[in-house]
Amino acid sequence: MALKSGKPAKAVRFVKDIPPVLWIVAAMMIVFSVFSPSYFEFSNIQNIVVQSVPLMLVAFAQTMVILTEGVDLSLGSQVSLATVLWVWFMQMGMPFYAAALLTVMCTVLFGAINGFIIGKWRVPPFIITLGMQNILYSVALLITKGASIYYANKIFQVISGTMILGFPLIVWITVLMFAVVWVILYHTRMGARVFGLGGNAEALVLAGVNVVKPTVFVYAFAGLLTAMSGLLTTCRLESGQPIVGQGWEFQAVAATLLGGTSFKEGKGGIGGTILGVLLITILKNGLNLVHLPSIYLNAIMGTIILAAIVIDSTIRRMKQN
Amino acid sequence: MSETILTANGITKLFPGVTALDNVDFDLKKGEVHILVGENGAGKSTLAKVLLGAYIPEGGEIKLEGQPVSLKSAKDGLAHGIAAVYQEFTLVPYLNVSQNIFLNREPKNKVGLVDHKKMEKDAAELLKSLNCDYIDVKAYVKTLSVAEQQMVEIAKALSFKPKILVFDEPTATLSEREVESLFERIHKLKKDGIGIIYVSHRMQEFHYIGDRITVLRDGKKIGTVGINEVSDSGLVSMMVGRDISQVFKRTPNQYKGEVLRTEGLCDKAGRVKDISIVLNKGEIVGLAGLVGAGRTEFARLIFGIDSASKGKIYVNGEEIHSHSPVTVVKKGLGMVCEDRKRHGLALKDSVAWNIMAVSLKKHFPKHIISQKKMIKIAEEYKEKLRIATPDVYRECRFLSGGNQQKVVLAKWLSADADILIFDEPTRGIDVGAKMEIYALMDELTQQGKSILMISSEMPEILGMSDRIYVMREGRIVNECARSEFSADDIGAYMLGIGGGKHGA
Repeated sequence: MALKSGKPAKAVRFVKDIPPVLWIVAAMMIVFSVFSPSYFEFSNIQNIVVQSVPLMLVAFAQTMVILTEGVDLSLGSQVSLATVLWVWFMQMGMPFYAAALLTVMCTVLFGAINGFIIGKWRVPPFIITLGMQNILYSVALLITKGASIYYANKIFQVISGTMILGFPLIVWITVLMFAVVWVILYHTRMGARVFGLGGNAEALVLAGVNVVKPTVFVYAFAGLLTAMSGLLTTCRLESGQPIVGQGWEFQAVAATLLGGTSFKEGKGGIGGTILGVLLITILKNGLNLVHLPSIYLNAIMGTIILAAIVIDSTIRRMKQN
Repeated sequence: MSETILTANGITKLFPGVTALDNVDFDLKKGEVHILVGENGAGKSTLAKVLLGAYIPEGGEIKLEGQPVSLKSAKDGLAHGIAAVYQEFTLVPYLNVSQNIFLNREPKNKVGLVDHKKMEKDAAELLKSLNCDYIDVKAYVKTLSVAEQQMVEIAKALSFKPKILVFDEPTATLSEREVESLFERIHKLKKDGIGIIYVSHRMQEFHYIGDRITVLRDGKKIGTVGINEVSDSGLVSMMVGRDISQVFKRTPNQYKGEVLRTEGLCDKAGRVKDISIVLNKGEIVGLAGLVGAGRTEFARLIFGIDSASKGKIYVNGEEIHSHSPVTVVKKGLGMVCEDRKRHGLALKDSVAWNIMAVSLKKHFPKHIISQKKMIKIAEEYKEKLRIATPDVYRECRFLSGGNQQKVVLAKWLSADADILIFDEPTRGIDVGAKMEIYALMDELTQQGKSILMISSEMPEILGMSDRIYVMREGRIVNECARSEFSADDIGAYMLGIGGGKHGA
């Protein structure tokens, strides 16, 4: 039989599988280091990693959602609301852990509502989650009356200040969440269903899967991740910020696409998303280091992300041919 | 060997407006390959789906090994040991082979996570039993060839340890060599005592694998015969024979001169090979062939949707350069697509908008659209083509299939298209509406328009065409005039059993 599946040697496959975004990240770092001599010092690397944490968690959530051929535009508002809720609950006298738990339950519930409507009534995720975004921002602004809210608690410093092996606890919590996502995606039935939802939902139905369940799971789990992102952000800012997560859902989409996940066929995975997030964070960090006035920041960042996506997809297409 | 494992009596399945299966009997023996054959819409896939449990029949009874069973879903069917290899693969592209085979039945280890090792081992064993151990169980399905994917699909079906296996047009996408190896596997499954239902219309294959053949036509069972009891032409007659004289009306006309010609047309994917045809004014030319023969691809080349790798196209004697749908439409071509809901209509727009879709520029050269004039033009076509709709404001999705097809036609007529390509013009349309479409086609040619009609329906080809080209595997294998053709001949050419190199 002349049927042989393409199976190059492992080393070759490894190099080929490196997403093009990695080369872009490397190139950017070199450019920034030219302008900023202290660029490769450990303190800056540490900085980049810490700065990447909140977006990283949101991007994990977005990646899982995108793998199901969906998109969640309410992620940023979930983060914002989580920061607000945690502080608000503590202001009302709850102990920090109970407040945190309740916050997580709230965003998980909002996510589950997203997922249920999308899965059950087959409504485009874009519309549902956009609606949810508006609702959640309103709630956050109502609670805070439009301003930041504050509460003093030692737990903030404990989580953002405790250093283990050179990195603060929030980084390790993110690493832990990555491990959880990894296990779910690649070592549970639910993970196979996530890839199946995007790849061939018909196949799931024929295999006897009720497709509403994995849809609800994915959006609800996204709620868990955004809550984590919100809690860690609160620890860093020591306040509840009603619009802190604005636009993060789109940065998370960009990171996901840069990481090699596609809107079609359930193609991609969680590993590349880390690189995508690092690219965006390095960009932000680098533009700060070269003292770019902040009013230019968004325009330049948007341009570079666009360019990166174009370069990335061009390289991918070249690889395919 | 001859123990009956499945009996179905009086199966009736209704779809809105259509009786898909009408009181059909069927039976299957252990270790037998029972072929289901018939034209498009004859009900063969429907019957297969009823037996699988994917469709619930309105009438009839199914017995498995003598016991009556009631199948409510494909899952029920699987539980009773009936599995299927579907025509359209049910694989998830970015899961690996083993994950696909055991989708939703993944073995778990002690902590409740998926036991990849066991799953991969089991998958490898299944593939080995199919002589497919060259397929890597860890490879993404996306990276496999179509033939390999099919083997995975078969392995998946076998993982349910079925007693009955249904193949739905399994060879439609395979190359000849791949087909041979598939047949080897099927022979092996037969020996293991699995009963196989094989849905196909590739006649040249039947002798290789079939034991018995059941012919369906218009949802009715025409007969069941042993593979050696019937000649090929006898089978074709069973499939296509019907009284076609009442349905079709074709009036001779006096137009002369060529309007469309292709010379040695080839496409890039190799699905259209060296095709030269001629279409004359006032003529209906039928392009017969099986699904996958390359007819639609050929039409797409003419229309400039895909670009040709070789060959020339002439419209009204002029060669077409810088070929694209835009230039072609300007030359007076129109295409009525096979899938009107996807390519022919904006379903959520009104009848009027759809009719005007191509001709806005012609009617409103100054870019400003007059609603009044638009409605007036639409009303004209509504009258002319007898489109059954209360008014032209109605959204197209509320129209019946036949009337939707008329709207597509009106769209091209209002754009002054003189050369019309019809791709399966009556697919999914009931008989009454079909007759109206045929009458319209005849009328159009009376007005000097020319039609190239792609069809898989033999009666339509025979009844409407002035000339027929038969296509098989990307080539024209026969051309004949109205006086010369018979159903048996055309069918034989389509299937490659007459004059072709693939004689069984």
